[in-house]
Amino acid sequence: MRNSESSKQVLLEVRNLQAGYEVKKGFVGAVDDVSFCLHKGEFLGIAGESGCGKSTLAFAIMNLLRDNARIRSGEIDFQGRLVSALSGEGFNKIRWVNLSMVFQSAMNALNPVLKVGEQLCDAIHAHRSISAQKAKERAQQMLQLVDIGPERYDSYPHQLSGGMKQRVMIAMALVLEPQLVIMDEPTTALDVVVQRTIIEKIQELQQQLDFSVIFITHDLSLLVEISDRLAIMYAGKIIEEGPAQDVFSHPLHPYTHGLMNAFPSLSGPIRRMGGIEGKPPDLLDPPKGCRFFPRCSQVMDRCANTYPPEILFEGDHRVACHLYEGKGDMQNG
Amino acid sequence: MADRFILELKEVSKHFPVRSFRRFGQVVHAMDEVSFRLKEGEVLALVGESGSGKTTTASIIARLYPQTSGKFVFEGKEIDPGRSGKRNLAYRKKVQMIFQDPFSSLNPTHTIFQILSRPYVIHGDAAGKKGLRSRVQVLLESVGLEPPAQFIDKFPHELSGGQRQRVNIARTFSVEPLVILADEPTSMLDVSIRMSIMNMMLEYRETRNVSTVYITHDLAGARYMSDRIAVMYAGMIMEIGPTEHVIGQAFHPYTKLLRSAAPAPEKGLKRQKLVTHGDIPSLIDPPSGCRFHPRCPFKMEECSKRIPDWKEVDAGHFARCFL
Repeated sequence: MRNSESSKQVLLEVRNLQAGYEVKKGFVGAVDDVSFCLHKGEFLGIAGESGCGKSTLAFAIMNLLRDNARIRSGEIDFQGRLVSALSGEGFNKIRWVNLSMVFQSAMNALNPVLKVGEQLCDAIHAHRSISAQKAKERAQQMLQLVDIGPERYDSYPHQLSGGMKQRVMIAMALVLEPQLVIMDEPTTALDVVVQRTIIEKIQELQQQLDFSVIFITHDLSLLVEISDRLAIMYAGKIIEEGPAQDVFSHPLHPYTHGLMNAFPSLSGPIRRMGGIEGKPPDLLDPPKGCRFFPRCSQVMDRCANTYPPEILFEGDHRVACHLYEGKGDMQNG
Repeated sequence: MADRFILELKEVSKHFPVRSFRRFGQVVHAMDEVSFRLKEGEVLALVGESGSGKTTTASIIARLYPQTSGKFVFEGKEIDPGRSGKRNLAYRKKVQMIFQDPFSSLNPTHTIFQILSRPYVIHGDAAGKKGLRSRVQVLLESVGLEPPAQFIDKFPHELSGGQRQRVNIARTFSVEPLVILADEPTSMLDVSIRMSIMNMMLEYRETRNVSTVYITHDLAGARYMSDRIAVMYAGMIMEIGPTEHVIGQAFHPYTKLLRSAAPAPEKGLKRQKLVTHGDIPSLIDPPSGCRFHPRCPFKMEECSKRIPDWKEVDAGHFARCFL
């Protein structure tokens, strides 16, 4: 398993990324010292509660942080290129061509006064110099790919259902055949059945077109099912990361335990579940040690003072928690 | 022991007029022929997608508006559809609603004390100004907002979403209702907070024997909360029965579809592909016969001709399907 893992090509590598928002009172460290690696063809799920920094991370990777938001330090490598050093214009050349994004609410991300087909063509024309006819053909072909009839090319967003709009967004993200698609809660506002059809579509397209996915959501039960690897974020940090089934069946971090305990199941005995008491810390002034310690059921003295080291277990499963110090399978280095 | 029923809906329908010139005179069939009985102390989950009529059903029970047709019986007495005005205080004291959005259901210009003392004042059991304050404190403690002194003089915007939903629930508890209508009370909250809100409602049910209609689109959450489940689709109940039966031995193809669409992490890659096509039908011009037939993988000729009758598939487990 690990052999095939390491033979895979690294597509995206994020190293010690710090990003956040400049406010009057200081700097809100929404993403704090985050590192992870995404391989080619991999489906990485990032889970966390609202305000944990998962969307900021996505926007940082896409170089879309604006106004008071910025990357403070850290590096992002994409296809072996240091893209975090690119200028705004330099990044424009690769955004959407090599990496694209499906935004949270399709309802607001589409322009209401333009036909969906025109919006798809806009994306094509912005990066490729091809004839209008060719672009239209390509747009229709993309719509077909997400099961929307070519006659919908002339529809306005308000004429489409929520699920269809979200599929248009997916078509838009894939229209230039990027190697990486970041999906920021693409199914959150949708009904379960529609959500399921969209997920199936994404998986089908991923096999067909072979792109990598970073899928961001708060719905852990969904993520476990669809991703290869899973990263759990809490208060700006990745606190656990590993193969999805492994994280699900052997969660290490107490926060991951708590999250797994917050989703009732459809089978097996019904047991009382706890959830997690308390609320996430203020990111303007986060706790000095582990960010989870005020809510943690297994808190120790050192948790309050030092941030736990990252401990690596077999199968590329890592956790940042004092509970596992000295218990890892490999030295981190 | 014979079950006692607190309320009963008999073929209740609610049609809203369409406010559009082109479609003048047409109606939206938000709820059609909905019948069920709520036992004392029972949690009944209404499960369905958006637009399936769940909230309309709760609003009819809350008497926010009158039904178009059908009978509504509460405590053995038929409630006249005309009596849905604001003056129906005695009824409101017995039936309370928890709204979905904790951000818009609390008045932003009132303090928590003002919000929570209103029910006591309105329902006439205010025990003087001093007594009122201590009652609100007890109330805050009962929903886990401790110490109450820390919350009582705050404004809603100073609280987190979970805390606001607790205030909402406290407001519901304040009048000690017989029936609680919970309209997706946890859908706008963070995952780590959801369970504590659900547990709080379950505990309240155990101590007070209050009957609850719990509305949700989350089948797993419904299983956690309820004794019985009613599955709604396009304004009609498709299947109703004991929770474990409806989930474990789903009969109606729509229930099966919902069940297979729900995330199930333990399934991993073994999942079967979803068999469905099409979208939720228009409720202005709903399909003839069974409302699910255009999307149903098992549809027969009969399905488009008439609405299936109720069929008892197991003890207390009914489905509206020709299969």
